[in-house]
Amino acid sequence: MTKPVELPQGTLEMLILKAVSLGPLHGYGILLRIQQISGERLEILQGSFYTAIYRLERRGWIKGEWGESENNRRARFYSLTPAGTRQLKAETAKWSDMVSVVAGILGKKADEV
Amino acid sequence: MSLLAAIRKLRHSIAPRSGSDVEEEFRSTLDSYQQDLMGQGFSAEEARRKARIDLGQPAAQNETYRAAIGLRVFDELGGDIRYGLRGLRRNPGFAAVAVLSLALGIGATTAMFSLIYAVLLHPFPYADADRMVNLFGLQNGAETSFTWTTISKAELDDLGRAAPVDSVLGSNFSHLEITGALPEDVFAIYLTENAGTFFGVRPLLGRNIQPSDAENGGHSVVVLNHRFWQRHFGGDPHVIGQTLEMDHSPYTIIGVMPRSFAFNDMVEVGDVYLPISLIANVPNLPYVPLIKLRPNVTPAAARATVEPIVLQIAKQKLGRLPEHLHFGLQPIIWIFQENTGHTLRLLLAGVVLLLIIGCANCSILLLARGRTRRHELAIRSAIGAGRWRIVRQLLVEAIVIACAGAVLGVAASYWLARLPLLLSPDSFPAESFIRINGTILAFSVVLALVSGILFGLVPALRLSRRDSAHMLPGRQTGAVAVPGKRRWSVLIAAQVALTLLLMATAATAIRSFLGLMRTPLGYDPAHVIKVGLPPHTKGTEQWDDKTREARVAYLEQIREKIASVPGVSTVAVGADATPPDAGAASSFQIEGSGDLEKPQAGVMLVDQQYFAALRIPVLQGRIWDTDENNRGDFIAVVNQAFATRYLSSSNALGWSNARQLRIPDLKPRNRYQAASAQSTAWRQIIGVVGDARNDGLEQPVVPTIYLPYTTLIKPYAEFFIRTEGEPLTYLQAIRAAIASVGSDQQIATGGFNGTITLNEAIERDPQYRSQRLFAILFGVFSAMALALALVGIFSLVAYSVAQRTTEFGVRLALGAPRKHVLWVAARIALVSATAGIAVGLAVDSFLGAVLAHWMQNTFAVRSLFTAAALLALSAMLACLWPARHAIKVSPTEALRYE
Repeated sequence: MTKPVELPQGTLEMLILKAVSLGPLHGYGILLRIQQISGERLEILQGSFYTAIYRLERRGWIKGEWGESENNRRARFYSLTPAGTRQLKAETAKWSDMVSVVAGILGKKADEV
Repeated sequence: MSLLAAIRKLRHSIAPRSGSDVEEEFRSTLDSYQQDLMGQGFSAEEARRKARIDLGQPAAQNETYRAAIGLRVFDELGGDIRYGLRGLRRNPGFAAVAVLSLALGIGATTAMFSLIYAVLLHPFPYADADRMVNLFGLQNGAETSFTWTTISKAELDDLGRAAPVDSVLGSNFSHLEITGALPEDVFAIYLTENAGTFFGVRPLLGRNIQPSDAENGGHSVVVLNHRFWQRHFGGDPHVIGQTLEMDHSPYTIIGVMPRSFAFNDMVEVGDVYLPISLIANVPNLPYVPLIKLRPNVTPAAARATVEPIVLQIAKQKLGRLPEHLHFGLQPIIWIFQENTGHTLRLLLAGVVLLLIIGCANCSILLLARGRTRRHELAIRSAIGAGRWRIVRQLLVEAIVIACAGAVLGVAASYWLARLPLLLSPDSFPAESFIRINGTILAFSVVLALVSGILFGLVPALRLSRRDSAHMLPGRQTGAVAVPGKRRWSVLIAAQVALTLLLMATAATAIRSFLGLMRTPLGYDPAHVIKVGLPPHTKGTEQWDDKTREARVAYLEQIREKIASVPGVSTVAVGADATPPDAGAASSFQIEGSGDLEKPQAGVMLVDQQYFAALRIPVLQGRIWDTDENNRGDFIAVVNQAFATRYLSSSNALGWSNARQLRIPDLKPRNRYQAASAQSTAWRQIIGVVGDARNDGLEQPVVPTIYLPYTTLIKPYAEFFIRTEGEPLTYLQAIRAAIASVGSDQQIATGGFNGTITLNEAIERDPQYRSQRLFAILFGVFSAMALALALVGIFSLVAYSVAQRTTEFGVRLALGAPRKHVLWVAARIALVSATAGIAVGLAVDSFLGAVLAHWMQNTFAVRSLFTAAALLALSAMLACLWPARHAIKVSPTEALRYE
């Protein structure tokens, strides 16, 4: 089994935006999808999960609407707003920049410095 | 409905989702998770438990939501406020003392502010009152000695055409008499017909005077003053269109002014307002101008344009201009700012001191109570509350107390603000009436917040200190020394020092008021009543148709009738002769002086009985007799001040041998006045009388010439009636006596000519009133301050004794003398109170000169020490009374707590 990965601060919101960008999801669905995409390697801090969702909704990046879930229950479905789409793009770009810079530094061997 | 919608909208914008909505969503997630867990093989109960452990409780979810969207601060504040209120409920004694301390301070300050607001900031109901100016004549740079300047209609129009002037209102006033019903004296103000637009005040009923009322020599219409409407018509709302008969002419009532409109309180508030065209045919009718400047015209610019016009007018009137005569324009508010502004500032300083003392009191109480809360705060801090969080909680609690105090205080200020108006009505514009409005409410809210922070900060910082945590394990060990001693001492000392400052001020004010009451008057006001007699200007007994002799006969007849009333001992007649402010200045010539020298003296027109009625002693010579009185000419009596100034051998003018004088201006000015044959001729000085106050209670007596009133009969007569016992009880009989001579002869009820006892006349003296105002208000302030300071000291000692029960028990058990224990218990408070008195004495002696200047009297060291002694004595009692409990502690009982 692969080792679980701990999430750096602030990245949970980015992951939620990504999960929602693939199609409207309710809260539990978002949780499942993140775990699914990550290959069950992410242990999401349960307590902070809804805090992140509330904050994203407050900022207008995602929009919640009541609907019916796959097992015919009432659930609140979240979808990405145009502002959220822009935000996700910006965050993704920032993240890959950071990763490449950090990976570049860490990947250097002693004789390359 | 719309308000509810607005609230809903606001709520939605703050927290878009409701608590139940958030909870429902969370439950659905919880359920789905639980289902999955059961699918993985968990039992229903296990799955339920695990779901809750992993995701949290649905009931707490709304809190998470509110914290996530940034509402946590408000939720915490709300909690702090609720906790503060609960704390107050738990300690009703503490709450009552703290809230009352602040209510006193905030109430007094709000009251004073609303007075200042009403008097200095918004005293007039007129539109554009800040652009209205009065015309004042200034001579020799003496800015305070202004005189009313009246002008003619043509000059009024000239003035109205001047560039910086927007419009001009002309007015004239006279006394009318209600006829056709019970006779009643009415003060009528005639206004130019632009009055409605000039004042811009909407009438309460009907309409104001308008330009069309000037047609055909003036319409017979009348607008009523609010007070007159209440008095005469009982506030009848259907009064418009009714007829009011005055001086045998009918007038149609067209309007009633609102209560706030009381033009012209500089002279006398009018009962009725009439179009001035009704009297425009009177030759040389004088107009009192009131000028409204155009917007954005500076007073200096206005004066530069207006003064030449007015000087031109003055030149035509006077023939030649007196030197150094200037005309100025003064905003209508000026006189009140000048006379009352200073009083109000002083009173405001007094109430602010009171508020600071109240705040210090609350600080002391909070510190004292804090001792019992250290355990609670230590627990809070131990489970993770930061220092700022605890400071915030304590500050919120302080502000809760302050707001409770403010609510009480504002309610009380509604009545408090009326106190100065009752004590000194003439110091304030009649139009300013006190009400609590938005500005004043905002002021008191700010005041409450500021004072809450002021008195809450020191205890909050002190109690939130980290070392509080050390208290946690031991809990009330009892034998620890009182913490924060220094802060207590400083607060007590400051409180005592400020109290002493207030008390010394009060003592000075009271002393000078008592001094004023003991001022030698030179006459005896007791049991003398003055009855004013307005003349008939129209109708059967018309005054101006009568000859001088007929007028004298009429007045003498009334005098005899009044004298025959049982209980009346002396009756005198005079005109403008009511002390302590009587007589008009006039220039005179004295034997041996040149024509060009024109010294000034007061002239008083009285009869020979006046001196007996007022008990003014005759020092030299004699008073004129009845025959001389009827003739009026060739004789005069002067007062001591006149004799000393002009007739004594030591005077520099060399008229010591002069025995004659003449008053060239003693001529009738209009058909209502009548003079004797030789009124301006030389007069023999036949006697010298004692000095009686004639220029207010504090000013030196003006040199005065007394003449028989028959030498220049004015329309207004005054009767001075000395009675046996309380003079007001004779008023009915006196009225009857007057009515027996002229059945429709009314007596004046109000105004400067009204019926009044001479003691009341003294009480109306502005100096007397302002001194009484200071004495009473500062007396009240200092009593409140003293009470607050004593409560502070008392609660400090009581608290510390209660806290240190064990310590005192141990001390007593080990054989400490009771005196020593008493000293230990009371020491801090006694020492700080003593320090406070010392500081207060030092500050007071330093401030003495400043205070004396402010209060316009001398600051007496003696009253300072009286105040200090009183304060020291009561502070000692407030220390020792609760300290007594320390020596009553039973050692066994005290140690049982260990």
